Amino acid sequence: MTTQSTVFRRALSLPQAKIGLALTAVVVLLAVLGPWLGPWLTGYDTTGFAGKPFQSDGVAGTDGLGRDVFTRFLAGGATLLLYAVLATAIGVVLGTALGMLAGYTGGRLDSLIMRGNDVLLSFPQLVFALLAIAMLGPQGWLLVLVIGITHAPRVARVARQATVAVKDSDYIKAAQLYAMPRRRILLREVLPNITGPLMVELGLRLTYSIGYVASLSFLGLGIQPPSADWGLMINENRIALVVEPWGVLLPVLAIAVLTVGTNLITDSLASAAAGREKEVAA
Amino acid sequence: MSFDKRISRRNFLVGSAVLAGTAPLLSACGGRSSAVAAPTGAPRRGGTLRVGVTGGGASDTLDPHIPATSPDIARVRNLYEPLLYRDHDYRLEMLVAESLTSSPDAKTWTATLREGIRFHDGRPVTPADVIATFRRIMDPDDPKSGAASLTMLGEVVAAGERRVEFRLTEPSTVFDDYLAQYSLGIVPADFSVDRPIGTGPFRAKDFTAGLQSTFVRNEHYWRPGQPYVDELVLINFAEDDARINALLSSQVDVIDQVPVALVEVLRSDERLRVLSSQTGTWLPFTMRVDRPPFDDVRVRQALRLVVDREQMINQVLSGQGRVGNDLYAPFDPAYASELPQRGQNLAEARRLLAEAGHPNLDIELVTAPIQAGAVEAAQVFQQQAKAAGVTVRLRRLDTTTFFGENYLSWDFAQSFWYTRNYLPQVANGSLPDSPYNETHWSDPEFLDLVRRADRTVDRAEREDLLKRAQRIEYERGGNIIWGFVNQVDAYQVYVAGLVPDRTGLPLSGYSFREAWLG
Repeated sequence: MTTQSTVFRRALSLPQAKIGLALTAVVVLLAVLGPWLGPWLTGYDTTGFAGKPFQSDGVAGTDGLGRDVFTRFLAGGATLLLYAVLATAIGVVLGTALGMLAGYTGGRLDSLIMRGNDVLLSFPQLVFALLAIAMLGPQGWLLVLVIGITHAPRVARVARQATVAVKDSDYIKAAQLYAMPRRRILLREVLPNITGPLMVELGLRLTYSIGYVASLSFLGLGIQPPSADWGLMINENRIALVVEPWGVLLPVLAIAVLTVGTNLITDSLASAAAGREKEVAA
Repeated sequence: MSFDKRISRRNFLVGSAVLAGTAPLLSACGGRSSAVAAPTGAPRRGGTLRVGVTGGGASDTLDPHIPATSPDIARVRNLYEPLLYRDHDYRLEMLVAESLTSSPDAKTWTATLREGIRFHDGRPVTPADVIATFRRIMDPDDPKSGAASLTMLGEVVAAGERRVEFRLTEPSTVFDDYLAQYSLGIVPADFSVDRPIGTGPFRAKDFTAGLQSTFVRNEHYWRPGQPYVDELVLINFAEDDARINALLSSQVDVIDQVPVALVEVLRSDERLRVLSSQTGTWLPFTMRVDRPPFDDVRVRQALRLVVDREQMINQVLSGQGRVGNDLYAPFDPAYASELPQRGQNLAEARRLLAEAGHPNLDIELVTAPIQAGAVEAAQVFQQQAKAAGVTVRLRRLDTTTFFGENYLSWDFAQSFWYTRNYLPQVANGSLPDSPYNETHWSDPEFLDLVRRADRTVDRAEREDLLKRAQRIEYERGGNIIWGFVNQVDAYQVYVAGLVPDRTGLPLSGYSFREAWLG
């Protein structure tokens, strides 16, 4: 269990991790508190009308229907963030389970899982999501599920590789000698020792999830109007980019800062994990 | 997938940063302008007018009788002319015919062709050409778009050197209205689409489907002096942004269909002029009167009282429109303007809903981007209904699905219609046998009044019947008509001769014969 905290401590000591953490925290706070802060700060709720469309009233003007852009910006991150986190969780849990099982068991089960994986990997994630949404309609749970499921094979590949690297260690062999059940070995012995690469994968998948949810909303297939949502806002207001740029700029900035932030954290976790491996090898 | 590679992730980040950096610059250079004076005085001859038109595609055509998209209509309006058409004030105006008169029983209509009118190649227009034109339109194997509203037309026969008789199978007092359509252009008897000849102010020179067409001045045009420009170029634009940028960068002189939200911006640019036309185009919410809960007249009345019409015009159309009174055909001489303007009355709406047994009404509104403003109107309605305790769930579809197999069976949806007079509109959408009766409206009292009006030749008596029919729709109809949409176009300040037009077609009804360059 100590390895996990070492990786974290190591990562946190890197300056890029601190920057990343700060950036992420700002956007997450904004997204979580925004829905309550918005009406209190501006006096408008997310679907109320503040004036005529694309006017400069208020902090950041009005959108294509005359709603207050700043209120909608503050409220627009919560759903995006929630969907992205849920999709990442599904992807990482599912992928880790499959990858560990394949890597630890080996043999025919390994081939079966990993070749099935390769088939899924051959579908571009967004295309797969578009297909599912076109068939079943744009619904929140579907969005989360389809992005999560398409993450799984990518996570599984990493998890399997990491499992194969540790499965011949002495402490695993010892556990096997005690006739510990496979589930327990996987959970108690293998999992804690592959958290480094998994954390990297978690951060990476979170970044992609944010990108995918926002892209799908932008295309009109994700979060539906009249909800306030950053991806949707970019689409709704892009026609007036020259006149009232804030309706596009604010969500673009928020998404950019969030992805840069989570990426910096991920990068530092990766280098911390790599540093530890080097140490072990030496 | 390349997204997984590190380099593209970095590119993505760089890309977002660049995007974030350039946008303020874009907004900064919007206000640049060089002052040019608007032309005054008598129209000047010569020059090339370049027009950016919305839409179009590979199926673009020069066929006079099947125009579908905006560029098709723009071409048809300038190459061909029907016997008569609507002028800018939505009054009938004689074109190829110089008069059209009805027999007392309204079963025979006689058109007299304009003296000296010629086709592009100099040949005079004869009754044989008119007969051939209508044979082409009514061809049973391949009926053209105008055929649907001419079902009462029995035969077309020559009645002298310049006279043509239209013999109807049943009386129609508004047959002149049915003939006044741009898709009924008169063409020579030997017409073929490869040689697109008509009597319009311009003749075709070049045409590339989906891209652009070039027309030149018709020397034989019957109106003296017109058209003023030597050459007319119509260019297709699929995207709003592209069309507006083409105007801003002077690649075109005129564009149609400016998004209403950008009107103020274009207006503030000294180099440009905005042309805003009041029209009879309406974007109603349609309630099926034969399906619960809308089969209860109190629910329909309540939902009409829920709408804040002024707010609709402001939020959806940026103020570019006029409020409606749940009645269509505002330019019809028989329009029931005496009925009081309906406004928002939430207390009365709640009372009606409670009385109908739906104190917490929950309904689904089917919407699609069928016309600019449609989805926006649905969202504003959803917000307004909230105040009356009515939950409106939006079901957003794409246009193809909306007009697919379930079109005409949505319980609560939206629609849009161009300017029409009352009886032609009723024939299209308010009779049990209408092609587009979206509300399934078949009120027996209403039907009786309309059928009688259709046969009544006396104008005052007919208007009285029509006003009574409108009162029924005002009281218990299935349309929520919150407003009439303005048509907004824009042009460079040096272009003159474009005037507001009520037909709902953009840019003076695409009538470029009157345009000239200063």
